[in-house]
Amino acid sequence: MSISLADIFLMIWNTSGFAVIGWQELVMIGIACILIYLAIVKQYEPLLLLPIAFGVLLANLPLANLMMGPPDDHSSAGGLLYYLYQGVKLGIYPSLIFLGIGAMTDFGPLIARPSSLFLGAAAQLGIYIAFIIAIMLGFSPPEAASIGIIGGADGPTAIFLTAKLAPELLPAIAIAAYSYMALIPMIQPPIMRFLTSKKEREIEMVQLREVTKLEKIVFPIVVTIVVCLLLPSVAPLIGMLMLGNLFRESGVVERLNNTAQNALINIVTIFLGTTVGATAVGQLFLRPETLKIIALGLIAFIFSTIGGLLLGKIMCWVTGGKVNPLIGSAGVSAVPMAARVSQIEGQKANPKNFLLMHAMGPNVAGVIGSAVAAGFLLTMFG
Amino acid sequence: MTLGDSLIVSLIGFSVVFIVLIVLSALIQFQSLVLGYVARSKFQGDRQETLTAQVPAPEEKALMTQRTDTVDTGWSAGELRLIGVDEKTAAMIMAIVSHESQIPLSELQFKMIKAID
Repeated sequence: MSISLADIFLMIWNTSGFAVIGWQELVMIGIACILIYLAIVKQYEPLLLLPIAFGVLLANLPLANLMMGPPDDHSSAGGLLYYLYQGVKLGIYPSLIFLGIGAMTDFGPLIARPSSLFLGAAAQLGIYIAFIIAIMLGFSPPEAASIGIIGGADGPTAIFLTAKLAPELLPAIAIAAYSYMALIPMIQPPIMRFLTSKKEREIEMVQLREVTKLEKIVFPIVVTIVVCLLLPSVAPLIGMLMLGNLFRESGVVERLNNTAQNALINIVTIFLGTTVGATAVGQLFLRPETLKIIALGLIAFIFSTIGGLLLGKIMCWVTGGKVNPLIGSAGVSAVPMAARVSQIEGQKANPKNFLLMHAMGPNVAGVIGSAVAAGFLLTMFG
Repeated sequence: MTLGDSLIVSLIGFSVVFIVLIVLSALIQFQSLVLGYVARSKFQGDRQETLTAQVPAPEEKALMTQRTDTVDTGWSAGELRLIGVDEKTAAMIMAIVSHESQIPLSELQFKMIKAID
């Protein structure tokens, strides 16, 4: 048997991905490279955008078959990312991320001012506005619900809901949600300045009362019981969020607390980001629907900000000017970015203004609010 | 699903979010009231016990006054002593330290913040 050098090269070429790569894969590889650039150079939510972008890259390399399941007769194993993706599909990763978020979150500002919860509720307005517009654009109700949840500005919640209701939209929704969260410092300030007067932005708020350790310990237990009894479908998210918070506040399981808010959340973030990105294969992603989803996501974010600000204005009026309406926009979750934006805008209007801790209340209330909204949508369309 | 249906679903959904969070808000307020009452009762009980305890001897009394004098120097807020710094500036400094060190504020303990001219 004689094999020429040309034959060997031809054989290598024919079995390589170069021989079968199509325009869609090339476009997706280009998109992956842009996302990697945004994550590394512009630092747009790099912790998630980088694994997502690399997942997009891996999923669009022909013949690598990383997301391919095992054959029906199970004669061989499936791709690595196929198995890791089961954690997204079954809602495991978003719940574990919530465990870490709970361990990192101080609910003290919320307990000190429970009315913050109203702002966290109002800032879910965008979810429902986007839902209505998505229905008008011809999306099915589960798809519209998944698109709407982008307005909750909460990545794990959006992934949790979309994986259950419309998994085919998962890459577009995840990328839109995390991109807009990174763009909050650009999206929110113009709306905040447009909807509030300078006098309102200048309002200085009184210092929050001190919250006792006992209150902080009782809080996650009460929230778990109330929310999970009312909306059992959201128990994985709220249950894990509050378990993580109880680890933190109890002070008796420092090792578990430390693991939940560091090692565990980091490991899960790698799996979640990479596998969500890997669902963005060219044939599914490069559709007009993706552009619609990205536009609807922006609308959802804008209306959620408006909802929070309008209720902030009402609370300002009701309290006789004791509440700065700028803290309302922090109700869109995106912890702690949205609260920082409130702080920055407040301080621009009045350098003596310190709104950060006041904005953290609506901010963490938004996490609970978006989880409740997701629970409702899951109950309706799941 | 028609536009009307989507409006109804949205209205109900938004109301559900508000109702759940209003219920939570009420529960937090109730929790704070109850726990505050319990803490006050406990504090009053402890205070009563202290008052009914034996009156200290004159030498002990003098020693206690001396200790209080040394502790109370300077202006303090709780465990933190602020010297030449107002509360807002101190809060800002603590927030900056927490942010820069990536350690949550609740896990940091400040003993003194002093202005250096």
